[in-house]
Amino acid sequence: MSDMNSVTAAEAPEKLSAQPRRGKSDKNRSLAGDAWNDLRKSKIFWFAVVLVAAVLLMAAWPSLFTSADPNECALNRKHAGPSGGAIFGYDFQGCDVYARTIYGARNSIIVGIASTALAGIIGIIFGLSSGYFGGAVDAVLSRIIDIMLSIPFLLAGIVLSRRLSSDPNDNGLLAVILTLGLLTWTSSARVMRSAVIASKSQDYVAAGRMLGAGPGRLMFRHILPNSIASFIVVLTILLGVNIGVEATLSFLGVGLKGDAISWGIAISEGTGFARVASGPLVWPAVFLGLTVLAFIMLGDAIRDAFDPKLR
Amino acid sequence: MLGKSPWKMAVGATAIALLAAGCGSGDSEESTATSNTVSIGIAEPQHLIPTNTTESNGAEVLASLFYPLVDFNEQNEPVEVAAESITPDKTNTTWTVKLKPGFTFHNGEPVIAQNYVDAWNYGAYGPNGQGGSYFFSSIAGYADLQSKDPDGEEGPQKAPDPKAKKLTGLKAVDDSTIEIKLAAPFASFKSVLGYTVFYPLPKAAFSADGVLAEGFEDAIIGNGPFKMKGTWQHDAQIQVEKVADFKGQVPKIDGITWKIYQEDSAQYADLVAGNLDVQTQIPIESLASASADLGDRFQKSPNSTFQFVGFPTFQKEFSDVRVRQAISMAINRQEITDQVFLGSQTPATSFVSPVVAGYRENTCGDNCKYDPAKAKELYTAAKGPAELKITYNADGPHKAWVDATCNQIKAALGVNCTGVGEPKFADLLTKVEKKEPVGLIRLGWIMDYPLMENYLGPLYSTEGSSNYYGYSNADFDRLVEEGRSAATPEEAIAKWQQAEDILAKEMPVIPLRNAQNVFGYSENVTNVSVDLFQKVNLYEIERTS
Amino acid sequence: MFRYIVRRLLQMVLTFFGATFVVFALVFANQDDPLQALAGERPITESQRLALTERYHLDEGFFTQYGYYMKGLLTGDFGESLTQRKIADLLADAWPTTARLALLALVIAAVIAISAGVFSALRRGGVFDNVTLVATLIILAMPIVVIAPLAQLVFGIQLGWFPPTSGADPSLWALFLPALVLASSVLATQLRVTRTSVAENLRSDYVRTARAKGLSYRRVVSVHVLRNSLIPVITLIGVDLGQLMAGAIVTEGVFNIPGVGFNLVRAIRTEDGPLVVGFVSVLVIVFLVVNLLVDLLYAALDPRIRYE
Repeated sequence: MSDMNSVTAAEAPEKLSAQPRRGKSDKNRSLAGDAWNDLRKSKIFWFAVVLVAAVLLMAAWPSLFTSADPNECALNRKHAGPSGGAIFGYDFQGCDVYARTIYGARNSIIVGIASTALAGIIGIIFGLSSGYFGGAVDAVLSRIIDIMLSIPFLLAGIVLSRRLSSDPNDNGLLAVILTLGLLTWTSSARVMRSAVIASKSQDYVAAGRMLGAGPGRLMFRHILPNSIASFIVVLTILLGVNIGVEATLSFLGVGLKGDAISWGIAISEGTGFARVASGPLVWPAVFLGLTVLAFIMLGDAIRDAFDPKLR
Repeated sequence: MLGKSPWKMAVGATAIALLAAGCGSGDSEESTATSNTVSIGIAEPQHLIPTNTTESNGAEVLASLFYPLVDFNEQNEPVEVAAESITPDKTNTTWTVKLKPGFTFHNGEPVIAQNYVDAWNYGAYGPNGQGGSYFFSSIAGYADLQSKDPDGEEGPQKAPDPKAKKLTGLKAVDDSTIEIKLAAPFASFKSVLGYTVFYPLPKAAFSADGVLAEGFEDAIIGNGPFKMKGTWQHDAQIQVEKVADFKGQVPKIDGITWKIYQEDSAQYADLVAGNLDVQTQIPIESLASASADLGDRFQKSPNSTFQFVGFPTFQKEFSDVRVRQAISMAINRQEITDQVFLGSQTPATSFVSPVVAGYRENTCGDNCKYDPAKAKELYTAAKGPAELKITYNADGPHKAWVDATCNQIKAALGVNCTGVGEPKFADLLTKVEKKEPVGLIRLGWIMDYPLMENYLGPLYSTEGSSNYYGYSNADFDRLVEEGRSAATPEEAIAKWQQAEDILAKEMPVIPLRNAQNVFGYSENVTNVSVDLFQKVNLYEIERTS
Repeated sequence: MFRYIVRRLLQMVLTFFGATFVVFALVFANQDDPLQALAGERPITESQRLALTERYHLDEGFFTQYGYYMKGLLTGDFGESLTQRKIADLLADAWPTTARLALLALVIAAVIAISAGVFSALRRGGVFDNVTLVATLIILAMPIVVIAPLAQLVFGIQLGWFPPTSGADPSLWALFLPALVLASSVLATQLRVTRTSVAENLRSDYVRTARAKGLSYRRVVSVHVLRNSLIPVITLIGVDLGQLMAGAIVTEGVFNIPGVGFNLVRAIRTEDGPLVVGFVSVLVIVFLVVNLLVDLLYAALDPRIRYE
């Protein structure tokens, strides 16, 4: 389950950019080829790739990074400083902060990537159709988005997570992913829509239409690649936000359940005791920050490489 | 088109937004700073009608507006306050309450016996849906004031009106005498009369017989040392001011501002910053820094909160008493009170709180002593379940200690233990009612009146209102009942202690901790004390300058 | 244009009913035992349960309950909360405070995001760009349950620059810290989108044309580029306003502001259906109006977009 998700995750950015590649693969110097040439030279890209790879590795095989058991906790070590294998010290429950941070990666990454992918797919479908077709379709889809946006996140989140995970032995991961995915696609859809509206009136779309391209071809081959810049930015940010929002859901008792470990949970638990011990708050936050940074830089780099306008 | 220059529009919009954000502000009241008043933090009360007030926030506010029939002394024995005398007949069934003369309501009405009778009848009448209605159930005629839905709760039929509107057991003999006839003898009934629901209501409260006047709750009129200043400002504050020529004990301050907070942490922030004078319960996260922040203005006093976990009887894996004993022995209570609660709670080793008469230390005996080796032995012998769960409500401050308890159980018994948070207590109850395998359930109890019976009855008797785990023992029920009808409080206590001994053998719940008030106050006030009911003593508190 | 607005207004009515219906359904799905939820850990007696069940029609089916609610709403009666308060009063108390908080947050976020975003885009890869990137990421990565208490601790208690809580009728000054915290939740997205959009437009043909015409760089950036780049940003701001109003739950709790977010939480926690729907109904109206304004602003900013 988890490995499947991390694989789709690694491919996700590539999938978004796969369209233009196929469209022009018959040419000698394809857009993808150009992009790859650009990317290879970009230091930021490689930095981001290394970071993302490290985090994915951590999510897949946490035991590579630590031999300690994250669930072995003892109150008599409460907030103790670093010692032996526990290089980040111990948290309020006397658990090894380093081990918990490493093991927390899996749930956080799965939640972040899977929910963002879900939100992205729904967002593309809604935004693209709405912006491209305009008129009645736009009106209906926009109103659906309005309804979605006007429903408070908390209400829908609580209801969805409570009703989606009725099995008491389930750790609530799927429910959290579905909840976040189903509730956060609206901003990406709206950004997509306005980008499509803006690029629809561009000359190349008019030219494509005159040459007889159908709506499907126009949407996916011409408008989507050219509208995707802001969209990728919103998505990479959403990824970071969703990893953090998981913490808020857990805080309300509807997030990950039982003894699930995640950065979000660690951060919200550490906050209350920030004045007494900062380690349990700071370390997971640093890992979360670096992960979000890596994904955003990756998104930026890929977008820059693929966007012909930025060449 | 809307305009040639979008930029001017944007600037204009910003200006409008700022203007809108700014308007309506600036009329802050600074006048209270110099007068002799104090501010005390509470959460928004659900209600302020005495018979509908069962949570501590409303009860605290009402304590300033009303003067009770009885209050409790240092030994937690009831002493007459607004009552001149409260005397039972020989069988402890009919009680006669004589009122002290001269008291008036804030609107000038004299306080007479009928005021009490009217208020209590209103509270007891089922269709009024008053939260404190169950307090009147020991008075004769209570059953006739309740209605039964003929086709169950889900059915479409409306419930018929109850048979009667007035309790037959209540009578105002004259203006200063109330006669209360109980359904069954109860030697300690006097203690019950100290609770919030037994306050009187003035004639002005009712628009017709048995009908509360609209808006009365927002501008409530009591018989206490303080009266409402203005109305209840929901979610903001409730201001009260001293009553001139109060006949009872006179407070040393001129008024109180009950400041309403949504979260304890916000309240604490205001306390430290000096914007609030008293906080009666400092949140767990702030305990570590409270001594540094407040110095000796950070204090503790006992209260009646009893924290425990229950074993649902519908889960067969807990039916062996050795499993229950083993889990109890696997918990190091001292470590949790020291590390998680920083000494603000104390380990509980009995089934009632230490604040009630008849409490004995360590009735739980070896079962509540931390002994991981013996625990493991018992658990293995009884083939206890390999997976344990402790279910709690995530909207309360429970995660930290539940996780810690689970870690201890894990370490001692070598089984997996997880804390499961449900969004709120009602969700937990729903799961228990559906008999879902919730594992151990987190529970707590705050007493209504200082009697052992107030723990034993609701928590462990078969029909107990908070016996969510379904414990039932006929001998226990009989002993509690015998205690209630015993001739003297001493005899009652003896019976109740016998009942408690049964609990110690059967371990239907694991006693964990007795809570305390951990309160703090600002430099502006002194002589601050918080009583068993988590209320500030309003007659002692003073301003320093 | 006029026809467009009329059409949108008609759609608004439909959306409004759609949204209240969905919310009512959600609340209904969330309802297990509202009376117990209200009582907390206290037991409730059977007769109390009976009385309240009948008063609030809790034993009725979904459509009957919805019918009762709509009937009240259409006659201007928002109904009564489970704590027997007029919901109209609760709305009147909570809305002004939250609206002020959200607007202030929006202004703070927009001012910082647009100015920093434009500046980063002009000097992409520069020191300022990288510093803002990292700074916004740190803020972004922190959930609001962390930022709000930390801000209160540092700026409210330790440094004492701002009042630690705002209270019921706060001044603009007392609202500043919570507004800043709230702004941080939307700041990163707005800033990143501004930066990307500006960077993209800087490379576009019309900029080259304008430069070739001999216009100064400053004028090209401040008039042509900005105007075109702000379309996606304005969309976001429109969306954010709603989010800021409904999403101030944690912030309102930490800074003790009895606004919409706080009331919603309480209503959801106590499964108080009429109260939830009442608050959300007003939220929906605000959304719809703001979104209409945003769409009209599009047209004002981008002459290529026409509505008919």
